Amino acid sequence: MRRMRWTWAPLGGTVLLLLLFSQAFSAPPQCQLGVPAIKLGVQGVASGPHADYGRQIQMGATMAIEEINAKGGILGCRLEMRFMDDENRPATGVRNARLLVTEYGAHFLYGTDSSGVAMALGPVLKELNRIQFFTHAATHRLTEELVAQQGIKQIVRVSAPVYQDAIAAWVFKDNPAIRRWATIGADYEYGYAVWGLFRETLRKFRPDVEFVGAAWAPFLTTDFTPHISAVMAQNPDAIIATPWAGEAVTLLRQAVLMGVFDKIQVWFQAMGGSVDVLEGIAREVQDGRFKGKLWATARYIHNWPNTQTNRAFVERFQKRWSRLPNYSAETTYSAIYITKAAVEKARSLETDKVLAALRGMQIVTPAGLRVFREEDHQFVYTVPAGRVVWSERYNMPVLGDLRIFDPKDYWRWPPFTPIPMGK
Amino acid sequence: MMNTVLYQGLVGISLAMYLWLISAGLTIIFGVLGVLNFAHGSLFMLGAYIAYTLYGMVGLPFGAAVLLSLAVVGAVGFAMERFFLRPLYHVDEAYQLLLTFGFVLVLDDAVKILWGGVFKIPPIPAFLDGAWRVFGRPFPVYNVFLITVGLLVGVVLWFLFERTWWGRIVRATASDREMAAALGVHVPRVFSSVFVFGAMLAALGGALGTPVRVVAPGIGSAMIIQAFIITVIGGLGNLKGAFVGSLIVGVLSAYGTLFFPVFELFFIFVIMAVVLLVRPQGLFGATR
Repeated sequence: MRRMRWTWAPLGGTVLLLLLFSQAFSAPPQCQLGVPAIKLGVQGVASGPHADYGRQIQMGATMAIEEINAKGGILGCRLEMRFMDDENRPATGVRNARLLVTEYGAHFLYGTDSSGVAMALGPVLKELNRIQFFTHAATHRLTEELVAQQGIKQIVRVSAPVYQDAIAAWVFKDNPAIRRWATIGADYEYGYAVWGLFRETLRKFRPDVEFVGAAWAPFLTTDFTPHISAVMAQNPDAIIATPWAGEAVTLLRQAVLMGVFDKIQVWFQAMGGSVDVLEGIAREVQDGRFKGKLWATARYIHNWPNTQTNRAFVERFQKRWSRLPNYSAETTYSAIYITKAAVEKARSLETDKVLAALRGMQIVTPAGLRVFREEDHQFVYTVPAGRVVWSERYNMPVLGDLRIFDPKDYWRWPPFTPIPMGK
Repeated sequence: MMNTVLYQGLVGISLAMYLWLISAGLTIIFGVLGVLNFAHGSLFMLGAYIAYTLYGMVGLPFGAAVLLSLAVVGAVGFAMERFFLRPLYHVDEAYQLLLTFGFVLVLDDAVKILWGGVFKIPPIPAFLDGAWRVFGRPFPVYNVFLITVGLLVGVVLWFLFERTWWGRIVRATASDREMAAALGVHVPRVFSSVFVFGAMLAALGGALGTPVRVVAPGIGSAMIIQAFIITVIGGLGNLKGAFVGSLIVGVLSAYGTLFFPVFELFFIFVIMAVVLLVRPQGLFGATR
């Protein structure tokens, strides 16, 4: 019996060694940051007419996390995410941020669609000392005032701010036939900022233009006919509109019914290049009811830039979600890769060290090269504006007839001077 | 200028008629049952989703989809009243408010689960597409349709409540439910029928909105605020008040957007505040 045990001993030892070796080669690498996982707190609108943006934020974040985890995480640390609906309400956004940091233990925060929510979050991020990568909220005040002036360093914006919406001034400044502009604006921070910046920019090029009318629609407006009618009473040549998501779709469809496109020369729907808006007006575009007069931009469009990085991203996104990526998906996806690059450089999750690692960062993302601007923690990149046209390739409308400008020209640069804002 | 003013007034009337459809149901339920139904906006939303499903997805004619959505939401309203509200009639009104608020949360989440969080866009029916030239500008056929339906609903409601046996019973119950019961009126049955009727009016508003409005979770929230303002201005529980209140809010909203775009929202709340100060029971409300 004793002899037999000795006979099996070398074999058992060999098996044990093999097992140990296999563990060493197949186990996930140890997290070098000393945490069980890097926790990402994400929030956006997940209900109401703007819900697709929160959903796209969630889809973009999920895809980035899956890709990064499949390749071993960040410095061997797995990524985890918790998503919350901010309901487009500042109070909910603030409550979510506190919960995500204090209860969930989020190391970084992402998302936020509304400028109003973003402005409320700024001081809270300072108190919590957590970096939030903003991936949609667009008011220039978030970065110009809260970061550059007030020094809330925890704010980093990956998406293009309202400078992008004011690209309309650059697209149409050389058209002498368009002199009378009006707005149908979102009745909050974002709408006021776009109208203020657009007017300021256009006045520089065209002292002859007139701003003839403005109508303001609050969130959850379902009947825009009084706004359209009030603005059309001023006989504008062109309209710049800032309601977004489902409200943009409602506005555009009601404008078609009111015969607006028979009368004006251009309608610029600021974030009309967003996938949900393009899907929403697909029938009207296909039937030619905008008469080629509808223009738009976005904070990223899936059909530009024509790079391998972008094409591969769009393909993976479509495969994963059976939808095209909206800008809030791309910006959140890119924000997580920016986090990865910064944390790998800093080899730390500490706010100051990660912020230091962001300095001078230039990173290739699906939207193109993003460059970190240190003065206001804004990533700078290019997004075109274009005419809304039907695409046989995508079987839905896209932005075509693209107009591309250098951000050096149409973005605002420090030192920042206040933009006259308000209704 | 005159044409602009008249045109904007017409736009205001079409907005008013839409608001009237929603506030009518709210005020009828309050007038008879004494319940301030927070879930009225959710029933409006449910009506929109069901009409969208039947018309936009199943492919039924728009009219049939609207009628079926009324039936479905009426059934939901019946279940709400019969099984949840009825046991609470004898306790403090605050419990009824809490219950209807609970329904707001349940129904909002239910539509998210059933239809998803992304908004839906049905096509506009061919007979509502296009515009007529009115006061020198194109006025959408859809808005003409809304004005017609709103006025028609007003006439039908007047006829039902003033000229039918059921209307007399409902008015008697609203006036004094104990006396009505003593005279042999089956009060619980009247309550059920009125709640179902109010729910169907909410659904009618939701369903008729689908051709030009997106359908999304939470769309009832904005409508219910406006409906409350209207019922407060007109007098809680007063149908004539709801009609006049709708006209005031709709037309003044439209003129506010044209002449005072900076104060348009503020304008409506100021009117409500003035009415509450001068006549707390509302323009047509009786002192309770």
